[in-house]
Amino acid sequence: MTDVLFPAMSQENPSATGVLATWFAREGEQVAAGQVVAEVQMDKVDAEVVAPTSGTLHVQVEEGVEVTQGSVIATIS
Amino acid sequence: MTMTESPAQTRRLNTSKAMVEAIAQEMRANPEVFYLGEDVGKYGGIFSSTTGLLDEFGPERIIDTPISETAFIGLAVGAATEGMRPIAELMFVDFMGVCLDQIYNHMAKIGFESGGNVKVPMVLTAAVGGGYSDAAQHSQCLWGMFAHLPGMKVVVPSTPADAKGLMTSAIRDDSPVVYMFHKGVMGLPWMVKNPRSIDVVPEGEYVVPIGKAAIAREGADVSVVTISLSVHHALDVAEKLAEEGISVEVLDLRSLVPLDREAVLTSVAKTGRLVVVDEDYHSFGMSGEVVASVADVDPGLLRVPAQRVAVPDVPIPYARSLEYAALPRQDRIEAAVRKALG
Repeated sequence: MTDVLFPAMSQENPSATGVLATWFAREGEQVAAGQVVAEVQMDKVDAEVVAPTSGTLHVQVEEGVEVTQGSVIATIS
Repeated sequence: MTMTESPAQTRRLNTSKAMVEAIAQEMRANPEVFYLGEDVGKYGGIFSSTTGLLDEFGPERIIDTPISETAFIGLAVGAATEGMRPIAELMFVDFMGVCLDQIYNHMAKIGFESGGNVKVPMVLTAAVGGGYSDAAQHSQCLWGMFAHLPGMKVVVPSTPADAKGLMTSAIRDDSPVVYMFHKGVMGLPWMVKNPRSIDVVPEGEYVVPIGKAAIAREGADVSVVTISLSVHHALDVAEKLAEEGISVEVLDLRSLVPLDREAVLTSVAKTGRLVVVDEDYHSFGMSGEVVASVADVDPGLLRVPAQRVAVPDVPIPYARSLEYAALPRQDRIEAAVRKALG
């Protein structure tokens, strides 16, 4: 089981929050290492989230939800 | 369509990433391809039409230009006549007013004026469309105007896969191609959420031929012929009316030049009812041309008069309520479908 994290987009503020904007991959789908699975947004800046490993995606944070950077947004098994 | 889709293929992208993927693939394969325009480099395109390309290809091939559309579109025309394959971005199609001479007198006409001896293999990209309160000078579609002027192919993808496939075709085409992307279909996190802007996109080489419409949804009772974001709205309406047993066919034209008139005729021959939805102005545009495609060949195919749902002949209002009233959104499309069905 590998965690997929909300990327660290703010260096000044470790507890900065952002929004899970888009899931490109869906719950239960097979994803490949390096595949773009989501896009997140913080202070009008977008960032891609890529799968750190191959496997089955388990979504933990739904679209539109605000979380602290570094939070687990999904796991891959 | 040279589509090699397997059931296992689920890799999804939004429309902007699909467009960028096609540009990157063609740039890797062909050193003659380069991209230029305002904020296309470090910024990545204000509607993410070039995100990440500067990092891979550098400032010699992803060129940030000064705010002079005449100069950089003229540069692209010149480079194309000398054998390069430039992609020039007009940030908003509304800005065509300052550079139209380069577009319709030069880019579009050099091929004719040279008796076909000089080709202009360039792509002119432009963001189009409204729905997000950007008012009269930043919300127009204007594709009817480019389609009206001879010498340019005009493509307007509505889905991520078509955005990739039509961009590949546009870059490879030896004619000038105007590639218009609606801001509302790009799948941008900061725009109005649009679930239809994220979908499966084939990996690797993917080509969608210019001039071929696609049936976005099959139906039997009425044909909704449309393009771009209006395809998404029409699909919303089709889904809703299906619950009442009304079967709406949605035809996505995908290209305006060449126009797939055969696909329009085939659909109307089946349903006998035609609703044309166009986010461009009502008069002298795409909606009239599509109706003429039927009337010129066999007006008897129409069991009821054709309906046109377009932007009334006024500038797009700023106020959200007025803007929504002017745009061909779901409510107006549904009303037109119901009227066609009597």
